[in-house]
Amino acid sequence: MRTRILLVPKKTRRMYTAFIAVIIALFVISTLSTDFDAFTLIGKSNAIWQFISEDFIPPKLPSESKVYDIFEGVLVTLALAMSSTTLAAILAFFTALFGSEQVSPYPFAARFVRSFATFLRNIPTLVWAFILFSSLGIGTGVGFAALLITSYAFMCRAFIETMEDVSDDCCESLMAVGASFPQRVFQAIVPSCVIGFISWYLYCLEVNIRASTIVGMVGGGGIGLVLFSYIKTFQYGISCSIIMVIAVMVIAVDQITGAIRRELSK
Amino acid sequence: MKTLLEFRSVNKTYQNGNHALRGVSFKVKEGEFVSIIGPSGSGKSTVLRSINRLQGISSGSITFDGEEISKLRGRALRALRRRIGMIFQNYNLVLPLSVIQNALHGRLGSMGPIKGILGLYSEDDKRKALAILDELGIGDFALTRASDLSGGQKQRVGIARALMQDPKLLLCDEPIASLDPQSARTIMDLLRDQAASRGIACIVNLHQLDIARAYSDRIIGLRRGVVVFDGAPTDLDDDVLRRIYGDGFSQDNVQGGQADAHADLACA
Repeated sequence: MRTRILLVPKKTRRMYTAFIAVIIALFVISTLSTDFDAFTLIGKSNAIWQFISEDFIPPKLPSESKVYDIFEGVLVTLALAMSSTTLAAILAFFTALFGSEQVSPYPFAARFVRSFATFLRNIPTLVWAFILFSSLGIGTGVGFAALLITSYAFMCRAFIETMEDVSDDCCESLMAVGASFPQRVFQAIVPSCVIGFISWYLYCLEVNIRASTIVGMVGGGGIGLVLFSYIKTFQYGISCSIIMVIAVMVIAVDQITGAIRRELSK
Repeated sequence: MKTLLEFRSVNKTYQNGNHALRGVSFKVKEGEFVSIIGPSGSGKSTVLRSINRLQGISSGSITFDGEEISKLRGRALRALRRRIGMIFQNYNLVLPLSVIQNALHGRLGSMGPIKGILGLYSEDDKRKALAILDELGIGDFALTRASDLSGGQKQRVGIARALMQDPKLLLCDEPIASLDPQSARTIMDLLRDQAASRGIACIVNLHQLDIARAYSDRIIGLRRGVVVFDGAPTDLDDDVLRRIYGDGFSQDNVQGGQADAHADLACA
């Protein structure tokens, strides 16, 4: 009998087969356990479509005084994202200096700084928001704090990695001329990393504009809260207009920050 | 001439147990041009980096200008580093900054903390930097970003930065290893001339024997962390070279360093 010639080692092929089998098994098990039924969804698609086409569309304009509220909401959301991201970036910069083993004057502590940032980041923004609302009550201040914590933790990691990528050699040469730690930071690390820092900051700003809408919905104020109040009172036509405003806002910010980041990376 | 630098039975053991220096002793006089040669991993870099304490030593003593320096810390260590210039194989410039900004970095050690952070150099320092850049033939590039320069030009900026320190000693760690032969000659000429005219002592790690012979007042040979030769370039005969580079040595294959020697063997 002729044996077939293998193109891939048997072990590799077995690994892929096992991988696919496990994924399928997990899908089946998890689908059954959540009582989610794709067929029900398809069966009810009519109702979903009816809801969208009759309740949501056409988008309605609220009365003139309410339009003002909506635009104020957009501004609050943008301001919330902008101020929390900026403060987070400044704090993250100083923290990151101590989180990189190459840069930090206390390299042994770097690991702890990094674990601290990772811990903060692994708790989602929304969870932070709920924790803070429960203890401090509803308001933009709490939304600000929730966004601040997660974007701070994210930028700590991003800034540490940016520094580790570029500044080893030039830091060493400044150490050799007798420059102090703050001098090394501002004469070597900052000039080498500033483009990377700004790029991460803009990315974080994009993420936070979306996040601040959601944090707003659960009580953080801004356009999210405005939208939520219309949904709760079944004014879907107006909600639809607000959703479109949010989409335009997010797309506009993405386009602007994206263009700046492309320009910077040249 | 007065002794500027002295190593007395210096040992260095890395945390991984690697014994980098074993009982290294030598002296360097003021204004002397010394080359250190030896195969990769023989401890050449460790010697240089323990002088300005980019690395510490395990035992022994190093004196610079009459002062024991192997235990210095903090402010005293920065004061020491200020008096010792260093030139690197990879130039170690801050690439997004201009040539003159990089040259002025040599002044950071002598400046107040805030002025250094903000880069507020005195007009005198700036004039001096321009004069040095002119002398090194890169005066026209003062405002060019360091990243836009060629390798040879970058190394000149490295030299300018070191000269801005007004050092008594220049440490050059493989200063020409990344350069083509023509630029390498130019850089070595500049190093020798500047060091001679300013009375600066130089310690240069080199892989190129011919260069070491042509430029040095004295040559130190290292093998596995031990000084196996310390004498005039004229005393560097085949016998000595075999002691430094091992039995497989012949004049041809050291030119480009040990890696080439292995490559030759592989091809044969």
